[in-house]
Amino acid sequence: MSKEYSSLLSELREKLVSCSSQHDLANIKSHYLGRKGVISNEFIKLRTASTEERKILGGKLNALKDEAQKLIASKASELSVSVDCNEKTDISLPGSNIYLGSRHPVNLTINKIIDILRNYGFETVDGFEIEDEFHNFDALNIPASHPARDMHDTFYISDDKLLRTHTSSVQIRSMLSSSPPLRIMTPGKVYRSDSDPTHSPMFHQIEGLCIDKNINFCHLKSLLSTFITELFGRDMDIRFRPSYFPFTEPSAELDIKFNGKWLEVLGCGMVHPNVLSNVKIDSKKYSGFAFGLGIERLAMLQYGITDLRMFYENDLSFLSQFKGLK
Amino acid sequence: MKISLNWLKEFLGNIKDNDQLSARLTSIGLEVDSVTKLKKDSIIDIDMTPNRADCLSVMGIARDLSAVYKKKVSIPKISKLSNKTKSHVKGVNKKISTAYSILVIEDFDNSLTTPKNITDKLELCGISQINFIVDILNYVMLEIGQPMHVFDKDKLHGDLDVRFAKKGEKINALDGNEYVLSVDIPVISDDDGPQAIAGVIGSCNSSVERDTSSIIIESAFFTQNLIRKSAKKFRLQTESSYRFERGVDPRLNNHALGRVIYIVNQYSKIKKYSYNSVVSKPTAQHLDKLIKMDMNHFERILGDKIPNKFIINTLSFLGFNPVIIKNKLQVSVPSHRFDISIAEDVIEEVARVYGYNNFSEIPLPPINLSTNNILRNSTNIFLDLLSSRGYSEVITFSFLPKDSQKLFLSNKSKIDVLNPISEDKSEMRANMISGLLKTAKHNISRQNSDIKIFEIGKTYKKHKDKSILEENVLAGIVSGVNYPHNLKQLQRKLDFFDLKGDLMSIFPNLSFNESENISYLSNSCQAVIVQGKKAVGLCGEPSLNLCRQFNIKNKIFYFEIYIDLLKLNQKVTYKPISIYPKICRDLTILVSNKVSCDDIINSIERKSFNYMINSRISDIFYNEKDFGNERKSMTLELSFQDNSRTLQDEDVNEQISKIIGFLEKEFNAVIRK
Repeated sequence: MSKEYSSLLSELREKLVSCSSQHDLANIKSHYLGRKGVISNEFIKLRTASTEERKILGGKLNALKDEAQKLIASKASELSVSVDCNEKTDISLPGSNIYLGSRHPVNLTINKIIDILRNYGFETVDGFEIEDEFHNFDALNIPASHPARDMHDTFYISDDKLLRTHTSSVQIRSMLSSSPPLRIMTPGKVYRSDSDPTHSPMFHQIEGLCIDKNINFCHLKSLLSTFITELFGRDMDIRFRPSYFPFTEPSAELDIKFNGKWLEVLGCGMVHPNVLSNVKIDSKKYSGFAFGLGIERLAMLQYGITDLRMFYENDLSFLSQFKGLK
Repeated sequence: MKISLNWLKEFLGNIKDNDQLSARLTSIGLEVDSVTKLKKDSIIDIDMTPNRADCLSVMGIARDLSAVYKKKVSIPKISKLSNKTKSHVKGVNKKISTAYSILVIEDFDNSLTTPKNITDKLELCGISQINFIVDILNYVMLEIGQPMHVFDKDKLHGDLDVRFAKKGEKINALDGNEYVLSVDIPVISDDDGPQAIAGVIGSCNSSVERDTSSIIIESAFFTQNLIRKSAKKFRLQTESSYRFERGVDPRLNNHALGRVIYIVNQYSKIKKYSYNSVVSKPTAQHLDKLIKMDMNHFERILGDKIPNKFIINTLSFLGFNPVIIKNKLQVSVPSHRFDISIAEDVIEEVARVYGYNNFSEIPLPPINLSTNNILRNSTNIFLDLLSSRGYSEVITFSFLPKDSQKLFLSNKSKIDVLNPISEDKSEMRANMISGLLKTAKHNISRQNSDIKIFEIGKTYKKHKDKSILEENVLAGIVSGVNYPHNLKQLQRKLDFFDLKGDLMSIFPNLSFNESENISYLSNSCQAVIVQGKKAVGLCGEPSLNLCRQFNIKNKIFYFEIYIDLLKLNQKVTYKPISIYPKICRDLTILVSNKVSCDDIINSIERKSFNYMINSRISDIFYNEKDFGNERKSMTLELSFQDNSRTLQDEDVNEQISKIIGFLEKEFNAVIRK
């Protein structure tokens, strides 16, 4: 009897070799393993055998069945088809519940910047949006009579309370409350009384500040050029040029070349000794640099947005384009 | 500021790299905005930073470039002034001016046509032609930077007086407007009254015409702050005020008059003039200031070592007269440099001529500082989770329209912007819902009525003691259907429970308490969001009134969470999982309608019955006929499991009877069998 089993197996092997379609394989499967198939038949025959025989042959028959199943399954995967003959899934139908919200491009940009600067030891600090003149202007070496106050058209809410015109006020508070070494970044909303297609009365900034012993202009250059490369994911054509801010000396502006044109992206410089002395840091012992940039402008460059107003209109057709970004 | 390239070359001589000129200007801090090429010349438009008043002239720009090209600037020729007189000026208030001179020319022919080489340059620089003498004065101003004013001497009555205006005095200015002056406005007056707002604008009454035959030219140094104040007060920015408020070289005024005589003489010989240098002891903070510094200071701030020779050379060309003695540098601030007062200013002078792009890049040394802002990081996780549940983040203005927040706060705690940009942005928001409803309305009217949005931002309120409270709030809105159209599932309208589900999935341990007194939410659907025992937010359906205010008819649900109060995600510690089977039991009870479902679940969980790992409400049923209208039937699904063995029925039965006992006692529950 056992001989018969092994011939069954070799017969199956031969059939499988010549089998080339899912349909044939299904036929072979039902011929051997089906309810009325060859192997079931052998089991039925066993019923009449002696106990002794049944024990031996049963084991062999089971082994045969296992082997047959294995052979068929492996042929099936060879044919890359499922041998179960269930209804075929129409995989071209749409998936269910395709929906995803999105983060706002301004915050996406802020988060991206924070992620980069964190690697250089900068910690995020948040602060007040309603500030006083000391933290927003005076401490930053911008006295009341200074023409630079014209650069900041300021919203006032009382005689000396105002909406911060930059996040530098947060840097002042940080320098007053903790001592060097200091590496912080201050993202947030800022306000200037300006409204046209390229200016919004509310916009976002992030500023960075690094104070330590022996910090110099070459450190500033290195950090910012690496930062720009990481932000845009490739080497960019950049230049540093002298500029003017009351709170830094020397001051610089970083430009990036886009489509053959230099665009101003970021202001920076070595922290002015007057600012350091205003926050009780000894400028003979410590030096540092600061930089600041407008988020909307950067987001516009990154995503090719041409109209500043899109950021605050919050049209879902606009926002949904930033799906899946982090 | 626009200047002509040819004019610049008159000062610098021929420049080899014409094409590089604008790059060079930019590299020393005089940023070239644009270059317009003409047939024989180019117009260079420079964006001047407010500190560089000394470069508001062709000579000033040439002087800066001389340090780059290492070339001396040729100084314009002047006539020596003679014929001193003491007449024509009655007095000069020293608060207004510390250097004040006039030039009186009689028998003057102002009907001459201004020579073409002058008008051409004026035109290129964007200054229109007026008449002979005014054109010459404008020319000299552009050339060397001294603004001057000319009076028709025959129209003046009595001597000039440099003084503050008297209350109520008026002036008919050259721009065609009448300005009413106040006592803080410096003027030049004659016996009839103000003939000019000092350094800003002249009066029509004494202005020169083509037929003017005798003139008084004023050349002065005016106190910057005063000019700035009057220009600001009258919102008048003239070529003159622009320069004076930034700082005109206090030692230039007589030189400028000499230049005027020289130029006029080229075209029409002056027969007779007299000159009165009324005051000539200019005072300004930077004048004759010496700065001493260590030579090492350059490297300390800049990082790279710049050769001493380069430092000395550069500062010499810029007019600083540098001297090095024993590694100490001493410079004197040039009279035209108002912006130089400390060593770092001198360092910048050298650095900008050296070229910022020529400095090395030195990586920041690594540092051991914490960069973890826990609040921001956890909040960011919440926001990312919200967005993965279909919410889009929006950013709305912190300003709201005038008087739009009466529902939310009293006038006393409201914060107004004193100088708003427009009426619809005139008070600071004390609530988040307005911005979100406005956004919802915008999208609904753009045929996007399936809305899930959130915003994180601040609200602003005034305390009783006038101190200001800024709170971080996360708020959001849902409206429309649950899923986009889908072949397999039926769409349905989003409801309160979709919102509640989203919040409960994202924020740990929230519960919702019934509420009735949130004025801007509908009475029939509002809740206070509680975490632990702290109210951390609220949610519900915006009131009809509010929706009407925004003209919204769609069903909307709103939430706000006060981020500052929220317990942030806790550290996760692994608990062993059980490999033994779970046993589930249903328990159906009757409780009063007033009993909150959340309460039942929370209190069972808090009680931590043995083996119980999960409890939830699987069914709620109201049936007036069977158990009256004050009770509801509630089915609880409870699961039990143990870590060390397979639980037996007896184990679970024991716990179930304890739970029943608890529910009977705490909630007056009746078990339905």
